[in-house]
Amino acid sequence: MNLMSMLSQLAGGFLVTVEIFVLTLLFSMPLGMLVAFARMSKIGIIRTVAKVYISVMRGTPLMLQILVVYFGPFYAFGIGMGKGYRFPAVIIAFAINYAAYFAEIYRAGIESMPIGQYEAAEILGYGKAQTFFKIILPQVFKRVIPPITNETITLVKDTSLAFTISIAEMFTIAKQIGAAQTSMLPLFSAGVFYYVFNLLVALVMEKMEKRLAYYR
Amino acid sequence: MAGNNVFLEMNHVKKGFDGTGVLEDISLKVREGEVVSIIGPSGSGKSTLLRCATMLERMDGGELIYLGEKAAWEERNKKGRPVCVYAPKPKLKQIKKSFGLVFQSFHLFPHYSVLKNIIDAPMHVEKVSRQEALERANKLLLQLGLEDKADAYPYQLSGGQQQRVSIARALALQPKILFFDEPTSALDPELTGEVLKVIRQLAREHMTMIIVTHEMQFAREVSDRIIFMEQGVVVQEGTPEQVFATENTRVKEFIGRLNS
Repeated sequence: MNLMSMLSQLAGGFLVTVEIFVLTLLFSMPLGMLVAFARMSKIGIIRTVAKVYISVMRGTPLMLQILVVYFGPFYAFGIGMGKGYRFPAVIIAFAINYAAYFAEIYRAGIESMPIGQYEAAEILGYGKAQTFFKIILPQVFKRVIPPITNETITLVKDTSLAFTISIAEMFTIAKQIGAAQTSMLPLFSAGVFYYVFNLLVALVMEKMEKRLAYYR
Repeated sequence: MAGNNVFLEMNHVKKGFDGTGVLEDISLKVREGEVVSIIGPSGSGKSTLLRCATMLERMDGGELIYLGEKAAWEERNKKGRPVCVYAPKPKLKQIKKSFGLVFQSFHLFPHYSVLKNIIDAPMHVEKVSRQEALERANKLLLQLGLEDKADAYPYQLSGGQQQRVSIARALALQPKILFFDEPTSALDPELTGEVLKVIRQLAREHMTMIIVTHEMQFAREVSDRIIFMEQGVVVQEGTPEQVFATENTRVKEFIGRLNS
């Protein structure tokens, strides 16, 4: 196998990696907001449920969560999900796991907002929704970009865990080729792919940070 | 100078935090065009009184009336104990339009430019046209000496300028009453001067104002009436002349110390 064909195989796997990455962000970021609200709810039982959820998601390995989401329906309820369930299972597992982390980031951001911002908005007559979306959220967003960047970079690397249930993402493929060719080169190349991807992620996030640097 | 319309009436207001009384049976009446200053030592309850008046804090008992409209009153609950009842939300929303509040630490919206800080509430709360909001804002910016700061962001301004912007933001909604909660306590003497100048100017225009302050000389010169509070009660109330010529040793001591 020549270098070109190896790289093109890796690139095919890389597309799957990107898919997992994008879909996970797409679902976990809004879901995290919901969890954050539940975590800050005035109703004790909702707060407790959110707390337990976050605790379990953060306290157990993502790899285990992937296995549970994939095999759970069959072992627990005898429901066979079929081969097509593999990819959705990975997305579900990633989304619910990352939602827990994002929820805590959002909560930290929201709770760091000075009470004066809420009071000023209230005195000026803004409604609850207006206050949140116009006054609080934009400022929270600026505050949470650095921890979100961290989480996003971790996600890029975590996508490799999809190999657990044999999703043909880049890491899985690199390992296969490497084993067949008894060569380090495929894994090394995959490493370069991950690194460059993360450079890009960091660049985009830095751009966003700079764009929001117009106020303090 | 004061008209006959009573703009704000607080009767027998009581407020405590975790069992300790902060306000004990305070009553206050402010007429149209009147400037009332509330002075007194820290912890005397003056800020709490202001927060109760502006409904940032719920009263435990008493009455709150704006322009003849009851915002809160006392009722007896099933057990016969007096409780404070607030008007329904839509009513409160309408009542809240009659006043504005200037905070000690400004609380401007940092992500909005000076202009947006001033026009946003008129546009999105009061729902006036952008043009109308801009007209009001430009007038206020000019009046408060901020005409070249419209596009600046709050962090780029001095404390005095920020406080003037927050006064403009409050005035843009055209309130009938303006509350000030220690408006100069976060400012150095130089910046204090420029904010007091603005409040003086508003007093000349007969804006109805209630000012919690530690600036004794300023309170003396700008107020129609001064209220001295201590430990949750009004110790003395009267014209600046009366209060500054008081025989009450506690008031004398307090004023004397801050005056020297």
